[in-house]
Amino acid sequence: MKSLFLFDMTFWLYLAALVLYIGYLFARRPTMALAPAGHLPENFDERDGVWATQLGQVATLVTIFGWMLNTGALFTRAFERMEHSGTFAPWSNQFEAMAYVSWAIILGYVLLEMRYKIKAIGAFVVGIGFIAMGAASLLPYRYQTAEPLVPALNSYWIYIHVSVTLTSYAAFATAGGLGVMYLFKERAERLGKTAGFYAAFPDLETIDELGYKAITVGFPMLAFGIILGAMWANYAWGGYWSWDPKETWSLIVWLIYGAYIHARMTRGWEGHKAAIYAVFGFLMVIFCFWGVNFLLSGLHAYA
Amino acid sequence: MNSQPDALPKEPSIRPSTPGLGWDEFSRELVEFFASVKLAIFLFLFIAITATIGTVIQQGERAEVYVQEYGENAYRWFLRLGFTDVYHTWWFTSLLGLLCVNSLTCFYKRFPSVWRSMKQDKVGVTMAFIKNLKQQAEIPLDNTKEAVAQQMVHHFVTKGYRVLAKNEPGEVTVYATKGVMGRVGAHMAHLSATVIIFGGLLGTYYGFQEFGVCLEGQTYHIPRGNFDLKVDKFWIDYHENGSVKSYNSTLTVVDGGQSVVTKTISVNDPLVYKGIWFYQSSYGDAWDQVEVARVNIKDKETDKVLKTVDLEWQKEQALPDLKVKLSITDFVADFAFNSTEKKVYSKTIEHANPAVKLVITERDSVQATPWIFQQFPDLFNIKDSKYQFELVGYKPRKFTGLQIAKNPGINIVWTGCTMIVVGITLSSFIFHRRLWAKIVPGQTGVTVHLGGTTHKSQIDFQKEFRKLTEKIQTFKT
Repeated sequence: MKSLFLFDMTFWLYLAALVLYIGYLFARRPTMALAPAGHLPENFDERDGVWATQLGQVATLVTIFGWMLNTGALFTRAFERMEHSGTFAPWSNQFEAMAYVSWAIILGYVLLEMRYKIKAIGAFVVGIGFIAMGAASLLPYRYQTAEPLVPALNSYWIYIHVSVTLTSYAAFATAGGLGVMYLFKERAERLGKTAGFYAAFPDLETIDELGYKAITVGFPMLAFGIILGAMWANYAWGGYWSWDPKETWSLIVWLIYGAYIHARMTRGWEGHKAAIYAVFGFLMVIFCFWGVNFLLSGLHAYA
Repeated sequence: MNSQPDALPKEPSIRPSTPGLGWDEFSRELVEFFASVKLAIFLFLFIAITATIGTVIQQGERAEVYVQEYGENAYRWFLRLGFTDVYHTWWFTSLLGLLCVNSLTCFYKRFPSVWRSMKQDKVGVTMAFIKNLKQQAEIPLDNTKEAVAQQMVHHFVTKGYRVLAKNEPGEVTVYATKGVMGRVGAHMAHLSATVIIFGGLLGTYYGFQEFGVCLEGQTYHIPRGNFDLKVDKFWIDYHENGSVKSYNSTLTVVDGGQSVVTKTISVNDPLVYKGIWFYQSSYGDAWDQVEVARVNIKDKETDKVLKTVDLEWQKEQALPDLKVKLSITDFVADFAFNSTEKKVYSKTIEHANPAVKLVITERDSVQATPWIFQQFPDLFNIKDSKYQFELVGYKPRKFTGLQIAKNPGINIVWTGCTMIVVGITLSSFIFHRRLWAKIVPGQTGVTVHLGGTTHKSQIDFQKEFRKLTEKIQTFKT
């Protein structure tokens, strides 16, 4: 299968991008972060700045190129699927779903970087995208091929229900990555290590706010995804809600983020608490996405 | 989601002081409690935690299964706590009910102020109030207060703000607001919980779900809808690698003796008639009918197969060269005999011990009607015949499994779902922003005191605020 080669290439490019982003963090000098625009500090070595900037630019380019390959791989898979499994949707099994999630994470990251121009986030969010892709490629080969779908899945609902739900997972993954980043930065500040590696990190408030933003994207999307699933279930199984483990777990994840969104409004779940909660929420998402398929049985256990 | 204490300075509310714990006091406390975000967070997390139980412990299984897996003692506790059917226990249902009460009370308590802020706004604020806002700036300008106000109002309006201004001798106060729909959205989501649960209850009490096993060519009465359903055809489509692609039944609704609708249903494509949905749910091998059975005819003396015939269900087939006529009149998938009623029946629906009843006619008079078994070919010997008959194979008739359901609450559920998605989306992406500006004339020109607040998306608002400030700096003569 041609798509498998492309998925492989994507994996390596994401790895390269991650290494470059981490390299960028190390190359970045404290003076760069502290220098007010237009005023160079006294001991400023121009080569350091150029070196870091170039690394950052290459990292972004490699990420974008990897994402394009990821897109290409998904398209190729869609055509492969069309040939012998009666659907286009390149997110019809666990492997494809993982590849799609990493596609969405990276797309989200690239948009984030374009809008807020903070490259340091790449080391964390691209990292999660890379791990998602890596976990997909670790699946046994028989999970990676485009086998025909069972009749219940063979429906146009798969296009929208699965993609919307997976996109919400990607948003929660981004929030999780930002949460980890927050905790790193917070620890560095506590220990007084604002130089070197941590110099390029945005301030805590920004990381916190971006993490919250990612959750506010994921939250309505997951609601929509769950409801689309209910509509599909109503067509395929004759009942919109049957407390199947996957359904229940997606509801649990939604409730967890719902609690967070309410708590943030009034009870000051910001900063440290919010970061830990975002990481915890993401772990729950991982369980909902992976754990349920492999550990619990139910209607969604097709793979 | 809108419980952020209003940023506006509150007027001291005049309350009649009731001694002790009066009804007013009590009901206010009650509303306070049920509308609280604390309760909402507790319910969200508590429902989330208890909902996991049903995903770990198999739901609705037979007692033996639990006893075997968890032991008798644990099973007794499961029964007491309802862990074998968590989602329908009184306590889980009460949690959902409490969530409805919570969100409705929150709506009751907080929506009126959102509604009022859509209708009218508080323009007049003190200088101290502006200086206390999270975003604030002071901009000295060389201009008159009216000219600045005019340009400012114009700019805010082009940015999509709703603007109110008050011109007083000493100063001009400008108030601008945008995105109140974000708050309306949150309340829409709050109402949706009750709508969804109400629709769900309606479905539970006035709807039904049944499962029917139907055979091709048969007509079934649907008592709940008072009409008949005829199964015209059932078939399976396969992928090229042999896996099942889809299974389909052609159904005809016969209402009042007349065919009304004919539709081919398949998985994901049900038939709906009079609010009753017919889903293609499963299929399987019938246990009391076959399409074709293959029978070997052997010569008893030589034990040689003389002929192999495929006999169609209940159709007599003549074999002129052997001078016999054969037909299959009965089939059971798992042979059993009821000795009191003297009846053969199928013990299970599994094809564990298949047998057919063969009718053998020689010289135009029925000679024998033996049951012949696939697994025990030598069980019976037909005395007067020179042949031995063996069942070597058969093609079972497929039954189609239909899920028959009616859910009168479904459209209410979908309405609630639409509300929740639209509501959360609005409240996630539109944030309520409010800006106040006081333009105070000084000795030379004016000073603009600008302040703004939002209940979320601080960094975006910060950016927007900075841009507004920069724009105001250009308001020169």
